[in-house]
Amino acid sequence: CKKDFITITPQGQFLSENYYSNRDQAYTGLVGVYDVLRKNAGGFENMITFFNAASDDNYSGGGNSSDGAGIQSFANFTINPNLVPGSYWNDHYQGIFRANVLLSKIGAVNMNAAEKARFTAEAKALRAIYYFNLVRMFKNIPLLLEPVSANDIYNVTQAAPTAVYTQIEKDLSEAIPDLPNTVVLATEAGRLTKAAGQAMLGKVYLYDGKAAQAATQLALVNGPTPGQPNQYGNKLLANFADLWVFTNKFNSESILECVHTNQSNADWGFWGSSADEGNSVNQMVGPRSFAPTATYNGPDIYRAGWSFNTWTQDFYDAIKADPRFPSTVFDAKAYVAAGMATYIDGYMNTGYFIKKFLPLRSDQRTGGGTLELNFQQNDYIIRLADTYLLEAEALGATGTRAQALLDAVRARVGLTPVPVSLAAIKAERRLELAGEGHRFFDLVRWGDAAAKLGGRGFVAGKNEILPIPARELIGTKLTQNPNYQK
Amino acid sequence: QNRTITGKVLDDSNAPVAGASVTVKGATAGTTTNDRGEFRIQVAPSATALVISSVGFVSREVSITNLGADNNVSVSLAKSVSALDEVVVVGYGTTKKSILTGSVASVRAKDLENVPNGRIEQALQGRASGVTIMQNSGQPGSASTIRVRGITTFNNNNPLWVVDNVVVDAGGIGYLNQSDIESIEVLKDASASIYGTRAAGGVILVTTKKGRSGKLSVSYNGFYGTSAPARMLELLNATQYATLINERSIAGGGGIVYNDISTLGVGTDWQKAIFNNNASRYLHEVSLSGGTDKSTFYVSAGIQKQNGIVSTEISKYEKKNIRLASTHKIGNYVTFGQTIGYTYQKSIGLGNTNSEFGGPLSSAINLDPITPIVVTDPSVAATPLYANNPSAIRDANGNPYGISLAVGQEMTNPVAYIQTRLGGYNWSDDFVGNAYLEVAPVKGLKIRTSVGVKKAYWGNVGFTPVFFLSPTVQQAQNSYNRGENRTFNWNVENTITYNRKFGDHDVTVLAGQGAYVENIGASTGMTYLNLPITSYKDASFNFDLPLANKQGYASDMTQHKVSSLFGRLNYAFQDKYLLTGIIRQDGSTRFGPNKKYSVFPSVSAGWNVDKEKFFPVNKVVSQLKLRGGYGTSGNDASDDFRYLSTVVGGYNYSIGNGGTVTTGYSPLTLDNKDLRWEKTATTDIGLDAQLFNNFNLTVNWFNKKTTGILRPILIPGYVGVSASPWANVADMENKGLEIELGYRKRAGDLNISINGNVTFIKNKVLYVAADTNFIVGGAGFQSMGTITRIKVGESYNSFFGFQRLGVFQTQADIDNYKNKAGTPIQPNARPGDFMWADINGDGVITNDDKDKTFLGSNLPKYTFGFTVNLEYKGFDMTAFFQGAGGNKIFQGLRRLDIANSNFTTKALSRWTGPGTSNDYPRLVSNDPNNNFAWMSDFYLEDGDYLRLKVFQLGYTLPAKLLNKTGISKVRFYVTAENLFTLTKYTGYDPEVGGGVFGVDRGQYPQARAILGGLQLQF
Repeated sequence: CKKDFITITPQGQFLSENYYSNRDQAYTGLVGVYDVLRKNAGGFENMITFFNAASDDNYSGGGNSSDGAGIQSFANFTINPNLVPGSYWNDHYQGIFRANVLLSKIGAVNMNAAEKARFTAEAKALRAIYYFNLVRMFKNIPLLLEPVSANDIYNVTQAAPTAVYTQIEKDLSEAIPDLPNTVVLATEAGRLTKAAGQAMLGKVYLYDGKAAQAATQLALVNGPTPGQPNQYGNKLLANFADLWVFTNKFNSESILECVHTNQSNADWGFWGSSADEGNSVNQMVGPRSFAPTATYNGPDIYRAGWSFNTWTQDFYDAIKADPRFPSTVFDAKAYVAAGMATYIDGYMNTGYFIKKFLPLRSDQRTGGGTLELNFQQNDYIIRLADTYLLEAEALGATGTRAQALLDAVRARVGLTPVPVSLAAIKAERRLELAGEGHRFFDLVRWGDAAAKLGGRGFVAGKNEILPIPARELIGTKLTQNPNYQK
Repeated sequence: QNRTITGKVLDDSNAPVAGASVTVKGATAGTTTNDRGEFRIQVAPSATALVISSVGFVSREVSITNLGADNNVSVSLAKSVSALDEVVVVGYGTTKKSILTGSVASVRAKDLENVPNGRIEQALQGRASGVTIMQNSGQPGSASTIRVRGITTFNNNNPLWVVDNVVVDAGGIGYLNQSDIESIEVLKDASASIYGTRAAGGVILVTTKKGRSGKLSVSYNGFYGTSAPARMLELLNATQYATLINERSIAGGGGIVYNDISTLGVGTDWQKAIFNNNASRYLHEVSLSGGTDKSTFYVSAGIQKQNGIVSTEISKYEKKNIRLASTHKIGNYVTFGQTIGYTYQKSIGLGNTNSEFGGPLSSAINLDPITPIVVTDPSVAATPLYANNPSAIRDANGNPYGISLAVGQEMTNPVAYIQTRLGGYNWSDDFVGNAYLEVAPVKGLKIRTSVGVKKAYWGNVGFTPVFFLSPTVQQAQNSYNRGENRTFNWNVENTITYNRKFGDHDVTVLAGQGAYVENIGASTGMTYLNLPITSYKDASFNFDLPLANKQGYASDMTQHKVSSLFGRLNYAFQDKYLLTGIIRQDGSTRFGPNKKYSVFPSVSAGWNVDKEKFFPVNKVVSQLKLRGGYGTSGNDASDDFRYLSTVVGGYNYSIGNGGTVTTGYSPLTLDNKDLRWEKTATTDIGLDAQLFNNFNLTVNWFNKKTTGILRPILIPGYVGVSASPWANVADMENKGLEIELGYRKRAGDLNISINGNVTFIKNKVLYVAADTNFIVGGAGFQSMGTITRIKVGESYNSFFGFQRLGVFQTQADIDNYKNKAGTPIQPNARPGDFMWADINGDGVITNDDKDKTFLGSNLPKYTFGFTVNLEYKGFDMTAFFQGAGGNKIFQGLRRLDIANSNFTTKALSRWTGPGTSNDYPRLVSNDPNNNFAWMSDFYLEDGDYLRLKVFQLGYTLPAKLLNKTGISKVRFYVTAENLFTLTKYTGYDPEVGGGVFGVDRGQYPQARAILGGLQLQF
């Protein structure tokens, strides 16, 4: 009785204690978990431009050598605990926190059991995806599966990377049965499907050194006959260039994509935050001050950007003769040479820009918000060509199925088969997935990073992973990653 | 057979002693004397003696066994010179000061009755050691900031107010009338633990006047007077201003701004335009008191009005109040008592005081003196600025008020500004009452139940016309706003007290229970837009407007509840060895489910050394008591629900192929179920002594340490929340020394009384977080950012900025200011710029924390007050001085980001060449060396002051003149308030109160007032 007297419940606001009481509230919680997928291409500190910058295909770029201390220092491997942008750590942990909250609450939510199972599966799969990013980036990370209580904040320790992988695989495995085969595009596009779960699980297994399990999962996504639709109807787009048409969202090749819209009225004030839904890669990779010349009277297609992630000459040379070249590389130098446009040389300018994400006049937003922050092109977190090549790799790059998978990727762009081998798969991945943020992780997975990036300053045994942000070590029980201590 | 004894109590000069307590020896029931010193009491046949006591007199026992047939007794009381004989209120009871073990400051009605204060906090200022009071504003009716023994927490430091045993919410004390107050006690140490919950900021106990049995007594007090500003700033006149602006512009590479300086003269004195040298003020109070030995009553009523000295049309205050208190004896064992009061307050405020962003004061200080108050030149009035803006404010003759284009942004013509705020005011209706029932069935036992309630309504009304004050400050549509709030607070307390003497042992036990509920209430408001009127006089909510022009808003308040159990044990052996133990358990709605309850114990002891046999009879020390104690108290004056996390939207994602944004929700932060009270532990060691018969000395040393101060904590990112949760983190201590010294002497017809007190306090932050030893402070200034810092080892919110080493006089000075490598530290400086200290010694001056250092504290190191009272025959004189020192004030009166803001005349002593100034830098428009732009000790001034707060002369007509009139007392007096203030501070007023951390952005100064008054007693 006395306890009741001094206990009151707040009115007119939602509390973590009493929110998530019905289906709609649970759904808003789930959307909050999805929010962090935006990290792939949203905000200045996005996954794509950051990891492109530290590959042998791209430079950091930007306006000058100090345009983004994080991305610049990562590109030349001078990155340290103070320079690494904390958001790569924090944002993913925010997604994990929201998943943990939802998972801890959803049991008591009064809602349809099947939908509850689906929400649960999505929360677990998203948590797995965020942990996968974290473990790939930072390796030695705390593994939290429920919200940390205020008392335990400073008692958290890092988990063994194997334990993290085990949990990721467990979450995805548990999620897959309850994820839908397909989603209703009008109302559900962007949400996870079985294929997304299986593709991610296969990819995780491959990173975890479980090649056989990886091949099994990826085969479920890739279908029995490479090049033919899988059980869910996914198939490679006939035309590679169509992958980069910003209106061609949720196409048949897309397994999981990061959704962007021009309707969030994104503004500088909340750029990169949870309420910003624009694609920032578009703006970042455009040539600086790019503008048609006074005499040019052709179509005005491209907007200016900030000249990040210029292609290296090495990459240009590798893809020059490939059919994917025109969709991959934008040769601004050629525009200038032809008197069609001018632009300002940014930092590490090569004149070659990522065509896949170039900011387009046709994608300019017409509603509210800042022009630069409201591009709506989606980007692929994983797409079918990627899973084909991952499965071929998981199969040890040998055998008829591996050959068929490689052939299918090449055939789509009109290339003739080459004998399957790990070298062939690596070469294919580089050209097929160029500029999509995968290359750095691929090099590290293959053990090729030191060889390919040594010239940039990459130190083996150190730069395979990022330093843990300095803030995370202050007052906590976390230890810094090897060779980043000083 | 009971008998009735009548009598009269007189003092040693044969004047009647009113309000003296008369009890039968060995019983608790009794009566008090009326204003003629008379009493009437019924005594049992067994009664042998009466005990007569009164504050300020030595108690006396009078035998009643040998009285005459008339049963009449005349008692003469000797005036006590010892404060130790006083009775003090200690919460749920009273005790004699001589056996008090705690540290309690006390102020009596007698000390206050001659002081014409507006609010009771001000009555305490300078009168109680350990209590620092700073007036927030000179705006009539405004509250003061009260700190009992320093700053206890980073959060709410307000003390707990308890009026007649009823806890009253802090801040809502303005309803009380000073003349209704019998006494004010401040519990400063372990003794406050009896109010454990909310006592960490100190407890202020207010006892109001009650009726006295006997003949009806009527008294009147009234005064009338006027106020004027005590001090004006010395600002540049038009000629000086134009000269400096030109100099500044040219130095920065610009052109001449003002060509015809010789024609400008002195220009506009904006201060004169808004200050009022004749702001009126009056007060009338009447009280009636009377009753029988069964029932007494006290009723009072008052009215006061006060006009402010700044922009008087929009700076006014008035208060009306009525109060009734009564006590009734029901049978032999039961007493019932009640008080009920109603107060109406209405105030009109300037708005934007102590703000650098506009408002009359800031504008008057910053506006250029060239712009006229009113444009009388028709050719100027025809310019587009006035002609194209029909809503530019005009005077009665239709001339537009001048608009400055030199000084823009929020600065506006203050006279025109007044016109835009007319018709607005705040009001409140407060009903506060309490009732108690006390049963005393057997000797020594009292059972008491009390109920307190407060019903409050308050609100505001405001009309904003269409106006054009400047190109940046304008209003395109008018609006009329009314906001109303109401709350209901109640509390119930039940106590049992038992007192018994066993031989030499005197034991008093108190046990009690309380329940407190605040903020049962709600707010609603309405704004009408675009009313078809132009003047506030026509504003009404009766206009029929389209729905879109009616904006309503409402909110519900969050209740705050506390549930308590408490007890106290007082033990005295031969009145020589004293022991007090207190324990209180409180539960509060404001804390996490795991920490709802907390226990606050305290123990204190005293030793009356002079009662020992070995204590020699001497002429130096006649009384001596040593005492000490330790106790804890808490603070729950934090926001509600800090232990809970809200779930908020904005964690969005776009789901579906339509591109729409889907709102996602997430908890904003973490719950903290362990959120608990901040705990304040006080150690107090003190002594009370009577010296040379006429001196009373009290000395207290204290150490007050607060642990677990609530603050939002910076947490590692892996926690995964986007906002910081609140937790009990920081620690802070206040150590101090309080000295009170009183002197009282009667020499023939001359009565002298001098009382002084001084308090020294040192505040130190002990801990702020696990991961850092500082957090950014609470005060910012314009574009400087934060100018204070909370750092371990420093005083709370100390000023933090660059330190000057002087002004570079020559290029050689700049070249010679070298680092270890031999290169100049400030290569880009020019003669006339500040030489900045290279705090971190890295050889360069950088605009970050590395070259900033601690520059002083806004907290006074010491505060003091002293009062001199002289009485000679019918004449009396009171002089009350008060002051503080050791603190720094940030003199932030000038708007830095407005290039052409006016300067004070200090700028005339700027650097203009070698040897001209080593303190005030050169004037240059872009300020490349950041002489003005950076927070530095350039802005800090000593806040020391000594103020003659009250000076009063009075004359009381001789009693024999009044003999036949029925009037018992007539006194005339003249009072001067704030007659002078000695300070080196260059702003208006060194008393910079409120939560401003000593930053003066244009504080409303206190007025100098001269009042004439009359007191009557019938």
